Amino acid sequence: MAVPALAGVRVVECGGMAAAAYAGKLLADMGAEVIKVEEPEGDPARRWGPFPDEGPHPERSALFLYLNQNKKGITLDLRQPRGQELLSRLVAHADVLVHNFPAPEMAARGLEYERLAAANPGLVMASISPFGLSGPHKDYKAHDINVMAAGGWVWLNGVTGRPDMAPLKPYGPQTEYQSGLAAAVAVMGALIWRLDTGRGQHIEVSGQEVVSTELEFVFPFWPYEERVPVRWGHRIVAPWDYFRCQDGWVFIICVEEHQWQRLVELMGDPEWAHWEVFGNRLLRGQNYDALKPFLDEWFAQWKVDDLYRAAQEKRIPLGPALDMPGLFASQHLQERDFFVEVDHPVAGRLSYPASPYRFLSETPAVPPGPAPTLGQHNREVYCGLLGLPEAELDNLRQEGVV
Amino acid sequence: MAEHRKGPLTGVRVVELTTAWAGPYAGQLLAHLGAESIRVESTRRLCVTRTAGPMADRVPGPDRAGYYGEYNQGKRSVQIDLSRPEGAELVKRLVAISDIVIENFAPGVVERWGLGYEDLRRVKPDIIMVSLSGHGRKGPLSHYVSYGPYLVALSGFSTMTGYPGWEQPMHVGMSYPDPNGGWHGAYAALVALWHRKRTGQGQYVDLSQWEAAVALLGDAVVAYSMTGHQPERLANRDPMMCPHGIFRCAPAQDGLPEGLLPEDRWLSIACASDAEWRALCRVIGKPEMAEDPRFATFEARKAHEDEVERAVEEWTATQEPYEATRKLQAAGVAAYPVHSNKDVAEDPHLNARNFFSLKEHPVVGVRKHTGIPWRMSGTPCEVWRAAPTLGQDNEYVFCRLLGLSREELESLQSSGVIS
Repeated sequence: MAVPALAGVRVVECGGMAAAAYAGKLLADMGAEVIKVEEPEGDPARRWGPFPDEGPHPERSALFLYLNQNKKGITLDLRQPRGQELLSRLVAHADVLVHNFPAPEMAARGLEYERLAAANPGLVMASISPFGLSGPHKDYKAHDINVMAAGGWVWLNGVTGRPDMAPLKPYGPQTEYQSGLAAAVAVMGALIWRLDTGRGQHIEVSGQEVVSTELEFVFPFWPYEERVPVRWGHRIVAPWDYFRCQDGWVFIICVEEHQWQRLVELMGDPEWAHWEVFGNRLLRGQNYDALKPFLDEWFAQWKVDDLYRAAQEKRIPLGPALDMPGLFASQHLQERDFFVEVDHPVAGRLSYPASPYRFLSETPAVPPGPAPTLGQHNREVYCGLLGLPEAELDNLRQEGVV
Repeated sequence: MAEHRKGPLTGVRVVELTTAWAGPYAGQLLAHLGAESIRVESTRRLCVTRTAGPMADRVPGPDRAGYYGEYNQGKRSVQIDLSRPEGAELVKRLVAISDIVIENFAPGVVERWGLGYEDLRRVKPDIIMVSLSGHGRKGPLSHYVSYGPYLVALSGFSTMTGYPGWEQPMHVGMSYPDPNGGWHGAYAALVALWHRKRTGQGQYVDLSQWEAAVALLGDAVVAYSMTGHQPERLANRDPMMCPHGIFRCAPAQDGLPEGLLPEDRWLSIACASDAEWRALCRVIGKPEMAEDPRFATFEARKAHEDEVERAVEEWTATQEPYEATRKLQAAGVAAYPVHSNKDVAEDPHLNARNFFSLKEHPVVGVRKHTGIPWRMSGTPCEVWRAAPTLGQDNEYVFCRLLGLSREELESLQSSGVIS
C-alpha cells in the first residue's frame, strides 16, 4: 500500500467542537499523526450529538465520532500550569499545533506562539477563532450561528416572498468546518515553505473572514451596484427551485437557455412555455409567480427517480432532495465505496463517509478508523512519546491534570 | 509589470482550466498563498461569472463583473480557444512550465480537448492535476450535469436545514458546495505539492464536490447509521445551547438601500451556560427569569424554549443590533448582528483589521473585495492586484513565459486561437 502523503507529520490539536477538529481530520486523512488534546471534561462535541435513541453518551456523539477518526486522544487540563508545561513538551515534538481557543482564552492555556516556537522553531501553529486575534471585536464571544451572522451568510437563507421568516442557519457547525479548511490550507502552505527554509510560523484564521469570502456574487453587489440581496427576494433566473413529485422533492436549476428549452421538450412543449412573459431566464425570474403553478402541476405527476433520469438524459440540471436514507441508497455512492463501516469500542460498528481524498492517485487518504475514547492514548503519548514514568502519569491523574 | 506576489507558494505556477465558482475559488486560494495562478479563458466561452451578477455601476461587460472580480483576485488571465488544437498546444506548453493544474469542467471535457491528465503528464511528468467535478470521475452518475445548488439537494443539506414544520427542502443561502469544493480542492493540491517536493512524484486528484459536501454532514451520516433516522430539523436552535437563535431587532430608521424593509433587522444570540443565561436576563431587564425554575437550567429552558425566545425577542425588538451586541458582549453573552453584504463591507472590525482588498482595476477602478481569510507571520500573504481583465496577461504569458514572438502572438490572435 502507498505511503500516505503526510506520514511522519505530527499534529497536536486542541480546542473544542468542529473547527480545529476538522483541520485535524483533514491532516489525519492524509496520514498525519494527530494527537487530540481534550480537557478532562472532554470535547464539547461529545455532548453535541446526535446520539443513539437511548440518549446522550460522551463516546456516542456522532459529531465527535466522525470528526476525530484516526486520531490519538489524550486528556490534559490546560488551565493548570502543569498542564501547560506538558503541552509545551508535547508541542516540542510536533510539526503542527492547531487550536480553536478564542483569543481571550489563548494565553490562559499557554498557547503563546513565541514561547512554543522558542523550543521548536519549525513549529507551524494555527489559531482559529471567530474574529481573529486583532481588531475591536477580537474578544467577542461567538458560536457558529454568530459567526455565520457576522460573515453575512445567515442573512441570505430564507424563503422567497417571506420576509417575516427569520434568517435560517444551515444544519451543523458549518462556519467551523470552513474555518478548519482554511487552517488546513494555510498549514499546508506553511509546511511546504518549511521544507525549503526549516522555519515555522504562526497562522491566524478568522471565521468571520472565511465566511465573508463564500457569499457567491452577493458580496460584490454592494461595491459594484450598491444593492443588498435579500433572502426573501426572487431568484434572478428561473426555474431555480424545489418541486414536489409523487414520492419526494426534486431541485431544478436552469441557468442556460438551452437547459430550459430541453425542459420544455420534456414537458411535451406546452403552449404556455412559449408565452412572451417566459421568453428568457430573466423574464422567467421576474414572472416566476405566474410560472410556478404550471411547473408545480407538471412535476407533481412524476416519481423522483424517473424524473431524475429523464431530465439528466436531456442534460437538465435536476436532482433529488436526498435525506440520509436516500444518500445511503445511492448506487453511485455505493459503487464509489463512499460509506465505510468502522468499529468503535463503545459506539460499535457504524457507517462513516469516506474521505473525499481517497482518489489521490499516488497518496490516497488512509482508510477511516475509529475516534479515540476519552484519554485512550494517555499512556502511549505521556509515557511513550514524552517518556514520563508510569508513576508520574498516576500522579497527574490524581491531581486532575490528566 | 513588477511582481509583488507574496506568500509561501511564491514560485509555484498554477494553470486554471476553470469555470464558474468552485475551480476559480480553489485557484484563488493558491494565488492568495503566493502562487502564480494563470486562468485560461476565452471569448467564445465566457465564464458565467463575467456575464452574471453585479456589474460595476450597473453597466454590463465582461471586465465589469463583480462576481469575477471577487473570485479571481491576484490571478493572470489569458485567452485561448481550447476547442482548437493550436489552443490545446499552447496550454500544453504552459503546463510544461507549471506545477499544478486545476480544472472543473464536466468529466470528459478536458480529455476531449486533449488536455486530460495522461496528455499533460506527457509534457510534464510530475504535474499535479486536480479535477473538481460534481459526482467524481467514477460511478454511474459521473456524467450527470451538476451545479452547486443541485449538490445542496443531493448532499442532504436541503432536508436537514429548515424551519420546524416546514416540509419543503431548503436551500442554504448560497451555492455552498462550490467554495467548499474549492477549499477541498486547494487542500488536495497542496498535499500533492508537499508529496512532490519530497519525492518528485506528481499525481492526479479526482475530487467529488458531492462527497466533499457530505463531508460537512458526517455527523448526520453516522447518526443515521446509529438510529435509522436522520437528525431532526432544528431551525436556528441547538442541541447544547438555549437560547440560540436569530431575533428580530427594532426597525431601521432611514437611509435604507433600495429594496430593504426597515423591520428586516436581526441579531444572533447563543447562550452556552446557565451563567450566560443569567447574564442575559439582566441585560434584557428580566432578572426574575434567571431565578425562575422553568428557565434556570439548560434542560428547563429547552422544555420552555418558545417562552425563552419570546422573552428575548421582546427585548431585541426594541434594540439596534450593534448596540444590543455591545450590551450582551459586555455581559459575556455571544451575540452579533446578522450582516447583509453591505454590513459586512462596513463592519468596523473587519475594516480595522484591514481585511478587505482595495486594488485598482484597469476598467472598474477600486472596488472593495473580501481579502485573504488567514494571516501568516513568516510569509505574509497579500492580494497583489485586482482580478484581471479578459486576456490581460496574453503578452506576459505567451511572449515572456512561452517565448512567442510578437508576430506569432498577433498571428494566433488574428486566427482566433488566442481570443
